[in-house]
Formats: sequence, C-alpha cells, structure tokens
Amino acid sequence: MNPLDVIVAYVADVVRHLPRRERGDVALELQALLGEALERKAQEEARPADAAMAIALVRAFGEPAEVASRYGTVPTIIAPADARRFVRLTWIGLAVIWSLGLLASVQPPPGAPSDPLSLLATWWLRVVVPSLWWPGVLVAWFAAANLADRRRPRASTWKPRDARSGRVARGGLVLAMIGIVAGLAILAEPRLVLDLALGGRAAPEAYLALTWTDTFLQRQAFVLFLLVASSLPLFAHVLVQGHWTPRLRRVQDALALLTCAAMVWTVLDGPALATSAGDEAFKGGLVLIAIVTLAELAWRSWRLPRSPGGLRMRTS
Amino acid sequence: MGEADVSGKLELELRRGVVVLAALSQLREPRYGYELRQALAEQGMVVEEGTLYPLLRRLESQGALASEWRVDEGPPRRYYALNAEGRALLERLTASWRAMNDTMDRLLEEGTR
Repeated sequence: MNPLDVIVAYVADVVRHLPRRERGDVALELQALLGEALERKAQEEARPADAAMAIALVRAFGEPAEVASRYGTVPTIIAPADARRFVRLTWIGLAVIWSLGLLASVQPPPGAPSDPLSLLATWWLRVVVPSLWWPGVLVAWFAAANLADRRRPRASTWKPRDARSGRVARGGLVLAMIGIVAGLAILAEPRLVLDLALGGRAAPEAYLALTWTDTFLQRQAFVLFLLVASSLPLFAHVLVQGHWTPRLRRVQDALALLTCAAMVWTVLDGPALATSAGDEAFKGGLVLIAIVTLAELAWRSWRLPRSPGGLRMRTS
Repeated sequence: MGEADVSGKLELELRRGVVVLAALSQLREPRYGYELRQALAEQGMVVEEGTLYPLLRRLESQGALASEWRVDEGPPRRYYALNAEGRALLERLTASWRAMNDTMDRLLEEGTR
C-alpha cells in the first residue's frame, strides 16, 4: 500500500465523523499536515516513507473518531448527567415488561403448545422483541429534554426547592383522594359501576358477577373499607399542610402495609364475588395494587439519603 | 486504576487548559499547524499534533482566529492568526492565568511550609 493512500484513508475516516460542510476543508488541511509530517519522519529516519511508517504516524495521531471529536462539540442525544437515570429506567421498565410477559406466557391459551421451549419462544417473540419500544420511548423523551435544555438553558437553571423533601404535588394528592373515594364506593356497592357505565341497562348476569359474597362482607369488607377510608383524613391533612412530616409518612406507611395485608387476606380467603370470573379479576386487581404499593414503599425507603455512618436519614 | 494512570490523567487535564493559552500566545503572527507546534516545542510546550490541529479549527469556529490558505511558500498550507476578538481573548486569558498562577504559587508555598 502506498503511504499516501494510508493517509488518505485515515483522513477519510476522520472526516466522516464531522458535519458535512466541514469535511472538505478539514480533509484538505489534515492531509497536507500529515503528508508533511510523513516527509519529516522519513528524513529523520533516513529512509523512504512506506506504509508501515504512515500507519505508525496516523496511529500516534489518534483514533479517527476521537480525533474528529476534538474538532468540535460532539452532539449528544442523552445528556451525560441523565445517562445513569436512562439506564436505570430502561432496565426497570424492561424487567417489568418481561416479568409480566413471562407470567402471561406460562398460561398459554387452550390448544397452544405448552412445552417449555415453545413457551420460551413465545415469550421471546411476543414480549422481549416488541419490548424494545420502551428504550425507544425513553431515548425520545431524554433527547427531547436534552434539546429543550440546550435551546432554553435559562429554563433549566437550577432553582431552590422547598427544603422539606416531603413537599407534595397537590394535584396528584387530589387525584389519589378521588381514586380512594371511587374505591370506597365500589367496595360499598360494586354494581354502581354498571349503573354509571350503562345507565342500569346491564344484563342480570353482570349484576350477579359484581355481587359480594356473604363471607367477604362478614370478614374482609369492613376491614378493607376502614383501612382505605382512613387514608382520606390523612391525605386531606397533608393537602392543607402542603408537605409530609415524618410522623404522617410513618402513619401512611403503616396504613399501606395494613391495607396490603388485608388485600392478601382477601385473596387467600374464600371467594369475594359471586362468580368465579369476577372473583378472579377482582383478586388479580388486589394483587396488582398490593405489588405497586409495596414497590412504592420499597422505592421510597431506598431513596432515603444515607448518613455517613450508613444509617438512613428520614428527611420527610 | 494504577497510580501512574491517575497521575497521567490529572496531568493531561492540567495541560488541556493551558494549551489554548499557549497556542493563542504564539499566533500574533500567522502560523500553520506544524510551524506553531514547533514554536511551542522550542519553548518547552510539547503538544500532540492530534490535539493541536483540531484546536486551531475549534478556536477559529469560536471566532478567536482567522485563517487563510497560502500556496506561495511551498505546498498549500492553512495559516492561522489572532483576529481582534482573539487578541482581546488572549489579554483576558493572560490576566486570568497570571492571577491563577500567583494564587497557586501562594497555595503551594503554604503547603511546603
């Protein structure tokens, strides 16, 4: 290989990382500089330049991509400061999608193959491969945030927050309270849903499906109602105060744990609804709520700042 | 990471900030890449070619340097020189460097007492 060909190939590899409008000019300059450097090197070593000498020269100059990055600001899709959060959210999201998909895959529809290899193939093709939408959404989200920060740096300037980390988003709290009231109404009379949705024109079987069993009404219904309802005054208090105090947070955590225990008790005890399909759907919902509640408790506990001694510090 | 690695990286960071000022200081007169590198090396500031040449382009795009191609003194070469903005920048950076240098001297002096 001709030594000048080495330089031309190297320069081409450098400039292909640059914006198109800069390529020609940088290539011309870099080629001239490296060509002169090669001539000098040949004079110093008192022998004609060859390909090996040219390769050694450009390797010392640097990796093409790295050299190109020194020519200007490298565009970043995700801001370096967001990289860890992006990776964490990606894996958490994928873990949730894959786990739920795995649970669905181990219960194949009637007639579908149920050997482990087929289940795994189904899970791979129907869950894992399509799940790549999640990192795609995150990339788009973080890229948009990064672009907005660069376009309007003033808007992203740090501003002091309320030092009390237990400060609440009032809108979210109001929504949670509406959800609690709706949950209590359903607990008191689940058939209300049919009346509201269909104006009382639902089939009698539908009403039957949403009828609590006597066992549930005598055992868990009151306990669940009481526990869920007791969150209302707590949330109302926090709404007025505007932040969580450590004591209120402890009360909320205790209530959440007790409610989870009551939900687990309901799931493990006899039927809660008169029909098996309705009962399964209701208990599935309870399991989901319990998982989300416990995950939120674990997440909040994990996020507590640690003191230098390793003890977690409650700041809210 | 070895001690030599850490030391090498930190030294590189120290030099990175100085190279800009060193390059600007030698561009009161037009110079092309290799010529500038030689001028710096002769005064004890050895800068890798792979660092210096892209830096010149960057300073030009930031408005501190002006450049032109010259073909009358041998092979075509791109010459860089400070423009008015570059001269003002050099003055500001020189003042900052001297102030920092004095501060660092005092700090390091205290450390050896």
